[in-house]
Amino acid sequence: MTTEVYRESFERRTKTVRYLRFLEGLADTQVGPIFLGMWGTVALFSYLLSAFITAIGFGEQVGWNPIRLVRELPVLTLYPPPPSYGLQLAPLQEGGYWQIATFFLTVSLIAWTFRAWTRAVANGLRPTVAIAFTAALFLYAAIYIIHPISMNSWNEAPGHGLAAILLWTNHFSVKYGNFYYNPFHMVSIFGLLGSAVILAMHGATILATLAYNAHKEIDEIEKSDEGTHRAQLFWRWVMGFNATAHSIHVWALGFASLTAVAGAIGVIATGWLEPNWYLWGCRAGIAPGIQAACP
Amino acid sequence: MTVHEGAPPGAVAKYDERQREILRGELVGLVAFTILALGGVIALSMAFAGVREVSGYRAEHTYNYAGVQQVNFLQYMERIGRPVAQPSAEALQAYSEWVAKNPRTVNVQVLNKYLGDKYNDTNNVFAYMSAYFTPGVGQSCEYCHNLQNFAAYDKPQKTVAKAMLIMQFELQAKWIENIPRPEGQPLYQIKCYTCHYGQAKFWNQDLKASNPELFGVAGGGNPTPHDMKNNGITLNGKVPSSYEVVDDRYLATRPDAEGNYNFYQVTASKDTPPGLVDTYRNQYAMYHQNTALGVGCDFCHYGGYFKSYVTADGVFKWPKAQARHMQAMMLDIALNWFPQMPNVNDVTQNQNYYAQPNCYMCHRGYVVPPGAAEFPEKPVKVADPQIKPLVDLPLPKPILPTSSK
Repeated sequence: MTTEVYRESFERRTKTVRYLRFLEGLADTQVGPIFLGMWGTVALFSYLLSAFITAIGFGEQVGWNPIRLVRELPVLTLYPPPPSYGLQLAPLQEGGYWQIATFFLTVSLIAWTFRAWTRAVANGLRPTVAIAFTAALFLYAAIYIIHPISMNSWNEAPGHGLAAILLWTNHFSVKYGNFYYNPFHMVSIFGLLGSAVILAMHGATILATLAYNAHKEIDEIEKSDEGTHRAQLFWRWVMGFNATAHSIHVWALGFASLTAVAGAIGVIATGWLEPNWYLWGCRAGIAPGIQAACP
Repeated sequence: MTVHEGAPPGAVAKYDERQREILRGELVGLVAFTILALGGVIALSMAFAGVREVSGYRAEHTYNYAGVQQVNFLQYMERIGRPVAQPSAEALQAYSEWVAKNPRTVNVQVLNKYLGDKYNDTNNVFAYMSAYFTPGVGQSCEYCHNLQNFAAYDKPQKTVAKAMLIMQFELQAKWIENIPRPEGQPLYQIKCYTCHYGQAKFWNQDLKASNPELFGVAGGGNPTPHDMKNNGITLNGKVPSSYEVVDDRYLATRPDAEGNYNFYQVTASKDTPPGLVDTYRNQYAMYHQNTALGVGCDFCHYGGYFKSYVTADGVFKWPKAQARHMQAMMLDIALNWFPQMPNVNDVTQNQNYYAQPNCYMCHRGYVVPPGAAEFPEKPVKVADPQIKPLVDLPLPKPILPTSSK
């Protein structure tokens, strides 16, 4: 098989390959070789630094007590600076930790994108993974950087912590008049649900054609063998048309990216463009019932 | 092979050993995933159910929209295992001697003013004291009174009690009697036990310093930023490192002369200042109200738009209008009454001895406080009370339904 030869050549070139048998059935058991490189190093270093600064902030909050750290971890939060600091640098205790941690987290994510890009090119692949990751990065940037800058306050960004992101999601929606009425949020949810259904359809289809070796997807795409044909026939029977082995992945990438990109646009448009999405819903005539709650 | 006509040949698959292994793996994976997911959901549900039980959350269909008291003072005292105080034998003996000599009251200054001539009769005053003061503060008569001379003011406790009684009647006349409410909803009265619940000292700075959790999490839900700043507490006992904390003890800021209270402007408009700090503060205050009254957000709010007093179906949310009124009363207590209430340790001084009032202080997890009393006589408005609020806050402009179902 082509893939086996491909793997063998790697194994000959490196001695870092390991096999983790407990992954059998869940994933490929082969681990390694890992390429670190410049972007990988920057991403890893920045991420560790960001996590370390967050840990320092948490440590201060619990008085360096490890038991309290574990017990309170779900609610510990590194908050952004208060509004009075605007977009300025704040003292460490007043949000400076958050600013430094967010800076390195951003550097880490950008470096990771470059890593995905350069590794794809080096491997002779198109950089579609990096492009897809950019969609997620765009949403991150919209929430943590672009929206706060548009509102002239880092305080608009979420804190770092497990509960913090949930609280921010709630409070952001409360402040801006119910985010569910944000049309971009609606499109984002459409993308999310679309991604879910496409992923489920695709995954189930490939598993259904197991007996015809459809689980060896790469080979199939190259050879268009029996499993793929049967899967396509199945969908024509069920819904009258079918995706190709190529187009289904384009659909999946498109829907998944739409989720993040539409969400990002929705966040960016919030505040300076539309401060109250419920009132927008009223103006658009989509508030529920008889719009009794509309002013 | 043609794939367009009927079932393809070999439609019933014959699996080789490797494929069977994969199928087994899929089966095990799916079962494990399902068990983990369902187990996780069940565990989380149980955990949240526990949280709901502790914090007093109830399902909406159990909300007490009617505003009828569901647990009264005596039932509540039984629930929390606190005895209801009665006059001691020594006090009863002293009183029987006092009333024999003084069937008409001596030096009564408050009850007769607010409740009428009936309280110039010593026995009526004693009945009131025994029914409300003694169980309210959990003390027998001698806690405040000189048993040889009930009329004397030689104990600081009596001075404090008198001030508190005036505050009680003034708050009743001004705030409770004017609360916006639907037709037919009962109106209760403030008595000593509405707040005290059988404890003489229960809400002051000393107690708060020694037991901050009583006034934070246990004292009515999540702490306010003020609690965080002064007591170093959050949900788990620590101030978030960069929370902007100011002295915003009250949901409402001082009103203007026309009764416009500036409640937190949470929902944004074009003029809303940047930052989510006000939203965080507001949410903490709201969570406090959740736990203090034992209700969810939708008790007061229309979930689609929290700012609205009307649901999408046109139903007027009376509890939101009432909560707004009560928050203004709380502001009045905090700004204009507590700061001038005499300190029992030294009645000539203050002040600011009392901890900030909050919803839990009286509500204790119920929509209608268990300590709210059904009392037949309404206090009259006294022209010149002995203690006045430091500033006479105007009543908030009432929010009333234009048309409600």
